[in-house]
Amino acid sequence: MALSIQKESSNGTTVLKIHGILDISTAFILEQFIQELENVRELIIDFSNLEFIDSTGVGVIIEFIYLSQEKNFTIRFQGIDEQTYEIFETIGLFKVLEAFQDGHSNVS
Amino acid sequence: MKNSSGRGYLMSFIKDLLFFPSKISDEKQIIDKTLEREIHLARNIQMKLLNGKIPKFEGGEVLGLSLPARLIGGDYYDFYLLGNGKIRVVIGDVMGKGIPAAMLMILTRGAFRSASESTDSPGQTLTAMNQALYEDLRTLKSFVTLFCADWDPQTGILTYANAGHNLPLFIDGKERIVKELPKVSGIMIGGLPNQVYKEGAIHLKNEDIVFFYTDGILEAQNKDGDQYKMERLVHALLSNIDKEIKEIGQCVVDSVNEFTEGVPQKDDITMVLLKVSNRKAKISSFNSSITNSKER
Repeated sequence: MALSIQKESSNGTTVLKIHGILDISTAFILEQFIQELENVRELIIDFSNLEFIDSTGVGVIIEFIYLSQEKNFTIRFQGIDEQTYEIFETIGLFKVLEAFQDGHSNVS
Repeated sequence: MKNSSGRGYLMSFIKDLLFFPSKISDEKQIIDKTLEREIHLARNIQMKLLNGKIPKFEGGEVLGLSLPARLIGGDYYDFYLLGNGKIRVVIGDVMGKGIPAAMLMILTRGAFRSASESTDSPGQTLTAMNQALYEDLRTLKSFVTLFCADWDPQTGILTYANAGHNLPLFIDGKERIVKELPKVSGIMIGGLPNQVYKEGAIHLKNEDIVFFYTDGILEAQNKDGDQYKMERLVHALLSNIDKEIKEIGQCVVDSVNEFTEGVPQKDDITMVLLKVSNRKAKISSFNSSITNSKER
């Protein structure tokens, strides 16, 4: 499988660890986790093992950001490497995240 | 009679059973052919819209090239000749690939053409496009990255604004160096409403080139999974800097093809070139036909 997601939940915090390639052929796998998010206060998306992301993959991350407003939870990104950081920065993803998280960038 | 009728029914039932798979297969073939025909028609529409009339103007040339990874794609470029003699260039990348991306690309094109009629600068154009497209893109969970620039052949100034797209490359024709345009950033179209896009500007001299592109070029892969990357693109541009604009574009495509060695494209590849040529030599004849020369 080109993409696998490891989910860990405890005390209102859910961590989604992305392993592999998040692109047009695999994005639906991560998308399935959007529907499953219930009773979450904080969502951490861990990119440490992300190998590649394309615009469809970025689109799914944006869906999580939009959902955070609907379901009132915070989002934190962690383990972003230089290349992914540059992609997110160029597209303006961090600014969208800030706008939906009351000005906090929540990136580590 | 009863027996004969029953046997007839049975025979007909067996016949149906026997031929049922081939019936399905025939229907599937018809649907496949219809779909294939419609996709080709859609491709023709997209290619005709993309490869429309390239504006001719004194002081430079523009060229656009797009190679979709599938039959149709979500990359976009366009030119728009403004009433004040400037030429507006836009390049963009719709999220996703194939038919869904192509549909949104057409929507983006309409928004660009409409915004160009009513806005005075690239930043304003992106603001208007974001306003026009935001609701639709948000509903469709999609976005578009765009880079828009106004080239003024009279002053040599290129003004530009960015909505989440990678920065174009500036090729100094005299010094023979390649670097990114000075950074200007902004959020992708469809990301947030009510966006104001900052503008940057650069003065272009004779023989300078600006190379606008989508990330499909840098991410093109060979059979080992290696990417084409910036270094190869810079080399391809510098090696062909003195050629005609069409040849430069083709040389970049050839260089990518040579690298990938037939490995199918994963992403759409699109580029737009603007080359300044003989601006000073032609400026007098150009001035005579322009009345709105003081506009920025």
